[in-house]
Amino acid sequence: MRKNIKVLLSTLGLDVHSRGVFTVAKYLRDSGMEVIYIGNSMPDEIIRAAIQEDADIIGVSSLGGAHLTLGGDLINQFKKEGIKDEKVFVIGGAIPDDDVGELKELGFDEIFTSGATKEEIVSTITNIFERKLV
Amino acid sequence: MNKATTKEIINKKTEKNSINPLFSKEALNAIRKQFNNWKSSSVREYDRDNWTVTPQTTLGSEIPRKMIYSPLDISELDYTSDLGNSGQAPFTRGIHPNMYRGKKFTIRQINGFGGPEDTNERLKFMIKNGATGLSVIFDIPTVQMYDSDDPISKGQVGTSGVAIDSSSDMDILFRDIPLEDITISIVTHYPSNTAILFPMFLVAAERRGIPWDKLGGSVQNDITLEEVVRSGSEYIPPRDCFRIQCDNVEFIRKNVPNWNFITLNGYNLRDFGTSSITEMAVAISNGIQTIETLLARGYEADWIAKRLAFFWSISNDFFDEVARIRAARRLWYKIMKYKFNAKDSRSMWMRCHVQTSGLTLTRQEPLNNIVRAALQALSATFSGAQSLHVDSYDEAYAVPTEESALLSLRTQQIIQSETAVTEVVDPLGGSYYIEALTNDIEKRILDEVSEIEKLGGYVKAIESGWIHRKVANYFHSEQAKMGKGDIKIVGYNCYKSSYKTPPIDVFKYPKGAEERQKKKLAKLKDSRNSRKVEDALKSLEEACRSSTNIIPYSVECARAGCTEGEIFKVFKKAYGLWKPPVFF
Repeated sequence: MRKNIKVLLSTLGLDVHSRGVFTVAKYLRDSGMEVIYIGNSMPDEIIRAAIQEDADIIGVSSLGGAHLTLGGDLINQFKKEGIKDEKVFVIGGAIPDDDVGELKELGFDEIFTSGATKEEIVSTITNIFERKLV
Repeated sequence: MNKATTKEIINKKTEKNSINPLFSKEALNAIRKQFNNWKSSSVREYDRDNWTVTPQTTLGSEIPRKMIYSPLDISELDYTSDLGNSGQAPFTRGIHPNMYRGKKFTIRQINGFGGPEDTNERLKFMIKNGATGLSVIFDIPTVQMYDSDDPISKGQVGTSGVAIDSSSDMDILFRDIPLEDITISIVTHYPSNTAILFPMFLVAAERRGIPWDKLGGSVQNDITLEEVVRSGSEYIPPRDCFRIQCDNVEFIRKNVPNWNFITLNGYNLRDFGTSSITEMAVAISNGIQTIETLLARGYEADWIAKRLAFFWSISNDFFDEVARIRAARRLWYKIMKYKFNAKDSRSMWMRCHVQTSGLTLTRQEPLNNIVRAALQALSATFSGAQSLHVDSYDEAYAVPTEESALLSLRTQQIIQSETAVTEVVDPLGGSYYIEALTNDIEKRILDEVSEIEKLGGYVKAIESGWIHRKVANYFHSEQAKMGKGDIKIVGYNCYKSSYKTPPIDVFKYPKGAEERQKKKLAKLKDSRNSRKVEDALKSLEEACRSSTNIIPYSVECARAGCTEGEIFKVFKKAYGLWKPPVFF
């Protein structure tokens, strides 16, 4: 039987915006995933929570411009822990097109920019989960 | 004991107002007869059956609209008591007799990125190109009250705003800016960071030899931003936050008399997720509780209210936006006059800054945003706002480039200089539709204000999580409507095109702000008198724990060279932390 997908969501760093992450949290929960929102967190706090909760998907929200600096830091810390390949990493927010490629190179599985729909978000995360972790 | 609500007070005190309706009974009878005949004979059945529609627009009021409005919809309208001329009570038509003929709305675009050196350059660029006011926004660590060298600020210094750590950064930020001649909106969203950053600004002015009473501008200082809209790591409790808000009001009113000590902010709450009605009800409820608190501290309503300002969002439902601002002006007048017994007309003015709605901007076909913002700016002009910020088309990607910031400025200049719309005051006043909508909106705002009062006032509505739940319910349901296409967004959920728009230039943050800020902080900490710093922080903590106004102590901290992070630590120690509710 397919395991229930467990998602850990957080607002990256000190970012002040939360409408987007709350919206995504509801989309994912309504589609049957288990969602934990840990609020504003730095990469080391996210990794601790991810291990503790044994989350499959790590989703972070960034609208304030720190997606590359803190996003890169987040992926590197998971690599250091040796558990980068055990998780799916997604990031969403106000992200310029040029940075989308860079975030993929850093190791994010998917980047959602403003306007991403419920269907896109749910199906993309489900597909990556099945491809990568099942 | 049951306290009368603002609605009950207003209704009671206005019931005996003499009524001189614009339309006589005879005229109304004739109009009704003609209208009914026309409706049954000339209007097709489909339109009769769908006589009212409820517009589905981003952040709209969802007030049902008829197909056409007539005198029958404003049959009791009394020109002298419901409208008055511009500059006359109840100020529905505007706060000044000549409105934009006397002074055009202030072109006030927000600026802020990188270090104070970078933003100082952008401010001078905006002045050079005709900005008539300035507005400065802070970077995320500064808004959240952490220093640039705090590990939690890593990678975020200078993003979405300018980094400020101490009063020395304020010196740099405003270098060569004529502080006596131009008004500055210092967008300190929260009461807590207003209590830290505004004193740093005052100390910078002091060092330049500028007396505080020569300074003009505004701070935001709004509990809604700190405790409801914000996403943050550490929150002080709402009650303490509100007390700091009132301390800021009291201190600034006394010591910086031409400064707007609060900008009751509906904008960010609405863009976070509330209807156009709730936006106003919340800001007005906060205003009411603030004035009540200052009255309890022994001040007069007229003295307090002269420098109170509002900040509204302007979204897509064009006529709704115009009517809303007119309704808020009339309602605020009634509140000040009938609830607070104000005498001076200036203290009954609902003065406002408005900004076009960021939530309406799309990433798809970004140039469409120029059109959206221009239409919103036009409705803001029709509404009689005092100052305006037009969002830039690239904001779904990043903060504006110099080019897009200039375009926002030009949008306002085109409205002011090329269209003649500023020549006539309240151009939509007297429209059957606008007046009916204004009446309806005023009632709805007052109903929601009463609802909050019955919960025990605005601070209680925050503490209980009532407002957080209301916002979450609203934006989840609105998001669903956008997803389904009930709310139409061109190029996103309707008229989608396979045409691939060419990429736009997107702002890139200047490099090096974080390192520069860290170096300056290290230098500051080496050069300042650490004994003075400790004493100032200790006195501030004692003030926080007592009932005395804390701002003079925060000014001393700024003078001693304390950093923002050091002062925020004092607040956290004195007040403790609060966990706001999360709903999804």
